[in-house]
Amino acid sequence: MKPLPSRLAWLGPCLALACAPAAPERPGVLTVSKEQQGAWVRNFNPLLATDTARWPTTAGIYEPLLIYNTIQGEWVPWLATEWSWEGHTRLRFVVRDDVRWSDGVPLSVDDVLFTFHLLRDERALDAGGLWTHLADVRACGSTEVVFEFEKPWVPGLKAVASVPIVPAHRWREVEDPTHFANPDPVGTGPFTEVLLFEPQIWELGRNPHYWQEGRPAVEALRFPALPGNDQATLALIDGEIDWAGNFVPAIDRIFVDRDPEHHGYWFPAVGSTVFLYLNTTSPPLDDPRVRTAISHAIDRDLVVKVAMYDYATPSHPTGLSDGYRSWRIEPGTDWTRHDPEQARRLLDEAGLLAGSGGLRRGPDGQPLDLEITAPSGWSDWVRAAQVIARNLHEVGLDAHVRTYDFSAWFDQLQRGDFEASLGWCEEGPTPYEQLRGLLSAQSVRPVGQTAVRNWHRFGSDEADALIGALERTTDEAEQRRLAASLQEIFLREAPAIPLFPSPSWGEYSTARFTGFPTADDPYARLSPNHPPETLLVLTRLEPREGAR
Amino acid sequence: MSRGVSFLARRAGFYALAAWAAITLNFLIPRMMPGDPASVMFARFRGELEPEAIEALRATLGLTDGPLWSQYLTYLSHVLRGDLGTSVAYFPAPVSEVIGVGLLWTVLLAGTALVIAFALGTLLGALAAWWRGGWLDSTAPLVLSLVGAFPYFWLAMVAVYLLGFMMGWFPLRHAYDTGIRAGPTVAFAASVLHHAALPAATLVLASLGGWLLTMRNTMVGVLGEDHVRYARARGLPPRRIFLHYAARNALLPSVTGFGMALGFVLSGALLTEIVFSYPGQGYLLIQSVRAQDFPLMQGIFLTITLAVLGANWLVDAVTLILDPRTRR
Repeated sequence: MKPLPSRLAWLGPCLALACAPAAPERPGVLTVSKEQQGAWVRNFNPLLATDTARWPTTAGIYEPLLIYNTIQGEWVPWLATEWSWEGHTRLRFVVRDDVRWSDGVPLSVDDVLFTFHLLRDERALDAGGLWTHLADVRACGSTEVVFEFEKPWVPGLKAVASVPIVPAHRWREVEDPTHFANPDPVGTGPFTEVLLFEPQIWELGRNPHYWQEGRPAVEALRFPALPGNDQATLALIDGEIDWAGNFVPAIDRIFVDRDPEHHGYWFPAVGSTVFLYLNTTSPPLDDPRVRTAISHAIDRDLVVKVAMYDYATPSHPTGLSDGYRSWRIEPGTDWTRHDPEQARRLLDEAGLLAGSGGLRRGPDGQPLDLEITAPSGWSDWVRAAQVIARNLHEVGLDAHVRTYDFSAWFDQLQRGDFEASLGWCEEGPTPYEQLRGLLSAQSVRPVGQTAVRNWHRFGSDEADALIGALERTTDEAEQRRLAASLQEIFLREAPAIPLFPSPSWGEYSTARFTGFPTADDPYARLSPNHPPETLLVLTRLEPREGAR
Repeated sequence: MSRGVSFLARRAGFYALAAWAAITLNFLIPRMMPGDPASVMFARFRGELEPEAIEALRATLGLTDGPLWSQYLTYLSHVLRGDLGTSVAYFPAPVSEVIGVGLLWTVLLAGTALVIAFALGTLLGALAAWWRGGWLDSTAPLVLSLVGAFPYFWLAMVAVYLLGFMMGWFPLRHAYDTGIRAGPTVAFAASVLHHAALPAATLVLASLGGWLLTMRNTMVGVLGEDHVRYARARGLPPRRIFLHYAARNALLPSVTGFGMALGFVLSGALLTEIVFSYPGQGYLLIQSVRAQDFPLMQGIFLTITLAVLGANWLVDAVTLILDPRTRR
């Protein structure tokens, strides 16, 4: 340890000079930790499919026509004041007429048209695959925009309404929008002015022309570069961060208890449900009794405890997260209940009888060994898979966990080259996306061919008819009736095994700012990880009176 | 000295060949990895992205399935022009810009730490050998090897937690105070020093033992040689024997090691930069591997390779000065 003192001696003068506390924040500047980066790279292009633009490019600088509020389960008018379907192929929006871009130019219907035409002409920007459904976009008068779909596709509202609108008068001159870093953004959002941009810190100031009177109340946003979860958590505990969206272990003890008056978090279970997908083309997993038995064998309380530190709750039997609370039906029999006895009974019934050593064999007498795969490094999923493997052992099914590098794992999943795997499900404003991914026969691809959804390759023609009807109806009561019938098919066939809905991570400190959504005031998601919903929060936050 | 010049010229030719080999491997190795950047990028969304988006991603990134040799030729011509391509993880920023952000900080932090560790470790090693069996010789190698044997990230995290978080003596992160604007001011320089102190100290502490042992062991050998004994017998001043006859000869293996280490400075002190949120090269390297960002990976490896080769060439030159035998 000899050299240390000499080094400290050399440091003496520096300490005296620079011993000021970590960051002398200005009042009204909200410090956010959302992206984990070692150094910031300047990019504010909201349309890049790579999503490499700095946060909140799509949730603060640029704005969409409508915002879907997951917590409240409703569409919030934003750059459009009204929208309506005419028939099932024509979608009409009325664009707000009092909006100005941050350079003072008024927003017009031309900007909306320009943005959608850009997606059409540059397929690389069309991350939602919108133009595979869209036939035309045109203006109707000076405030209306009409979208024509090729065939009825009511869920297309989400794809259209969420596109961030860019200014035609600026972007027209951009030579290659697919490689445009947009260093000095001009947007309609509450925060548009880049005040500072350095590798380890950047700041975003208010839009001088924001269309919401007196909003935002926050002066500016500030983003320190924090390379990983540990560093973000440390900064959060230290009180340097006002708002964050990362996973924090033992949050009550290490974060809330440190300042119970100001520190808080809210992890609502509204994220994509994590499923155990079983390859339904591979016997004996083609038998719904076997799939149901596997589900009964899983102790979901233990899974969420071990894998998710109890931040998640076991899934609803329908696999629909709390975001779809009002859509869920209550099942007669619940095959997501932990019931090893029932699991054994069903496996016996399916002809998977125990051989010597107590482990079950297939109907052909071959020993069974289920391989459960997960991407390596996704430690929560890997732990969940390990619990499941142990649970299956308890009912006599041999199972082991194998992890693959993400690309290899995802490739196998898409090609149907797996037995059992953890996986997410698709999300949307209605359960349409999730149920389509779980049940649609149309999306089934033969094993060996890449399938973008329905990796477990389960298809029901009955479900397809209902999904088709769901794409054609704008009547909400009818949508609910169809979604209920689809859930019944799900409950009957057990095409995939729901485990737990992913929590939506969000932490805050009210020491300097107030107005964060909480379980008591659930006006939107707290988590900043879901643009453009974040706009709902950014326009509500207020500096605390007298706070430093 | 003309022999020396031709020696250096020959070495330069050898290094040029090594550089070509490295550049070629640099091209091949990332392409042998499974998967492609588009699907890795897609993975980050964990289902929040429409599955169809993966096609848009492939189109954006311009991923082509062209034959390998044509990709190789394009790559070579671009490298020669200094064009390292466009980063995938930081799309659409050019690789040279992304690398430029961290390079200076890495050189500053890891470079300074290396120079300090080398100088201090070598000096202590030489002294330990000189007073062989003395208190320095019996404690320093033992203690420093012990510290060096701790997992580095653990050492760094303990330092951050105790001295940064608990005591508040040192900042927890970053290269300088974010409240200060970068510029040629005293406050900025002081802030940079204050922020570099703890990460540099942990780096020095972790590597000191190695330098010390190398120097000590070589020095012990040299001190037992005839020419040193002869010098003592002739009654030369001990200071002169220590510096000119023993240390100078014993320095050779350490200098070679120093050259190697100097080149690797550019790979960044990976763990240091992560634990201390230091905006350097090391974090970029991990990020690029995770995102299968081939262009960025290649760019970083290229700078590392060139730095290692350059540093080795410098070592050749220094050896030429230290060791007259190479001049013959």
